[in-house]
Amino acid sequence: MRPTAVILSLASDYGCQVQISNFPEILEMLSTFDLGYWQFVSSGDMPDAYEVALIEGAVTTDEHVELLEKVRATASCVIALGACAATGGIPGLAIAGPVRGQLKEVYGSGEKKVGAGARKPAPISDYITVDFTIPGCPIDPAELSRVLQRAIRALVDTPQRQSMCGECKIAENMCFWLAGTPCLGMIARSGCNATCVSRGRPCTACRGIAQDANIESAYAFAAQNKCDADQFESLIKIYNAANEQATQKAVTSKKTAQEVVS
Amino acid sequence: MLKGSVMVTFPFDMKGSYMYFRILEKDQVSTFIEGLAHVYEVVAPVMRGGGYSFEQVRDGSEVELDYPLTIIPPKKYFVRPKECLFRYDSHSGALDETDHEVSPRVLFGVHACDINAILMTDKIFLGDYVDPYYKARRENTLIVGVSCMPIPTCMCNAWGTGEVSQGCDLFLTDLGDRYFVTCQSFEGAHILDTFAKTHEASAEDKQALEDHIREFSQAFREPVDTTQLQLLFDAKYNDPMWETIGDPCLSCGACSAVCPTCYCFDVVDELDADGVAGCRIRCWDSCLDSQFAEVAGGHDFRPTRASRVRYRFYHKFWAYPSRYGKMLCVGCGRCDVACKVDINPRRIVEALREGESK
Repeated sequence: MRPTAVILSLASDYGCQVQISNFPEILEMLSTFDLGYWQFVSSGDMPDAYEVALIEGAVTTDEHVELLEKVRATASCVIALGACAATGGIPGLAIAGPVRGQLKEVYGSGEKKVGAGARKPAPISDYITVDFTIPGCPIDPAELSRVLQRAIRALVDTPQRQSMCGECKIAENMCFWLAGTPCLGMIARSGCNATCVSRGRPCTACRGIAQDANIESAYAFAAQNKCDADQFESLIKIYNAANEQATQKAVTSKKTAQEVVS
Repeated sequence: MLKGSVMVTFPFDMKGSYMYFRILEKDQVSTFIEGLAHVYEVVAPVMRGGGYSFEQVRDGSEVELDYPLTIIPPKKYFVRPKECLFRYDSHSGALDETDHEVSPRVLFGVHACDINAILMTDKIFLGDYVDPYYKARRENTLIVGVSCMPIPTCMCNAWGTGEVSQGCDLFLTDLGDRYFVTCQSFEGAHILDTFAKTHEASAEDKQALEDHIREFSQAFREPVDTTQLQLLFDAKYNDPMWETIGDPCLSCGACSAVCPTCYCFDVVDELDADGVAGCRIRCWDSCLDSQFAEVAGGHDFRPTRASRVRYRFYHKFWAYPSRYGKMLCVGCGRCDVACKVDINPRRIVEALREGESK
């Protein structure tokens, strides 16, 4: 019997679901599942039982939290799909808050109605246990395929821990910093083969912060290269505002702690 | 291939190596390359997006022989950054290695440091355990070296890797409007005679070659003292220098990616969508990655950045030389360019020497 999978969405622009539909090989991969629900293309209801849940989008409302809890109680495997689900992504930019004030600014008097149950944006792993993460904005279809195969066979996925500059060198790109343009490759989670830099755009760390990233050292390097801490932090926050370890506050407090020790 | 098909006879010197010198005018280089490209896959340095890289060329005018440094060394033509070693079918047990790419190739315009690096990786891949993939490519590759002038990050003068006495088939020394061509193999002489229009080297050309060699050796920054490095390494194994230099490491692996002598790789299986067939993949690995020395159960032999940086240089300056008698560094300076936090061989050697009493 084929396992049942559902694809659902929280706060996002559905870009990763569009990405899935763009690649025939992913659709082929998905055909090894009984696709019980796909928010982007189906109008039916979610089935009561399913094994795999692919969740796109960041958590921004009470309703999202309820849904997540229900999904986690049902699915044996939960996969975070794309930057918004994995790191809070673009919706995460609103994390600076206060949420109510932001809603008022955008929706004026309609704020109460539109913003009912609004929460500070967060990656789904802030609320439930996530088994696999497919990072990126949008996702890399080959990575989705690989992770799904591993998920079906209950294999562990071991994402790369290195930051991205190594891959970027293998792609034989010149470093943006040499030309004075800030780039987040040195702290970004690798695995994309430096796809943006290879196309002439600096890395925005849409795949999140690498497990091995040396945040403190990166801030220091940026500062030496005419990108002060505020500017560097604002670049990081585009996709990683919810990652408190990547902010200057984390770096400064770490420094202070070290000074206290020494 | 061309082996054994050479009819030319060469005068031999006292040591038994052949001495065959020719002059190749610069305006003849394109014709030479294009001629070679009819028979071989010719790989040469070209300018791409502001940097230089080795790429396949058909048009000789694309080739930039006067280049400072390519981003990635020619090692990518012997061990691919990522390659399928074989395909397998887990139901039938069938293995398929037929995809294996081995085309006769000429690496054209390789600097002396990179040629020496290939000789070093030969020791690994063609030593006790012969790597069939590396061997097949190596045997099907001719190397045409080219002279260069040092840029500030170069330190081949410290390791003696700025010249080649073996390891290439032809070596071109830039004499301004012409190249002084030294043939180091029968195949080299054969391709030169077949595809290039050359003429005899005059006494004046030989003088110009000597002048070039002197000019090259004088163009370096102050050389670092690389004697007794293994002893210094032992003495400073637990020195705080490793934290000072290694703590800022960004763990990006750029240094090992661009290093012509870093050869570590990982092997992984990638399954097809059906979960039955798949591909065994080999890809470059880096000892700067925290996963590198982690074993089953989660124990990590090198848990800190400093310990990983030390390990990298320990391999280069202690382990490899203790086995093969040479440092595993050719001083190309690529890591110096790639590293954002100034971790490079020159700095390591200087730190090892600091406080040394002579």
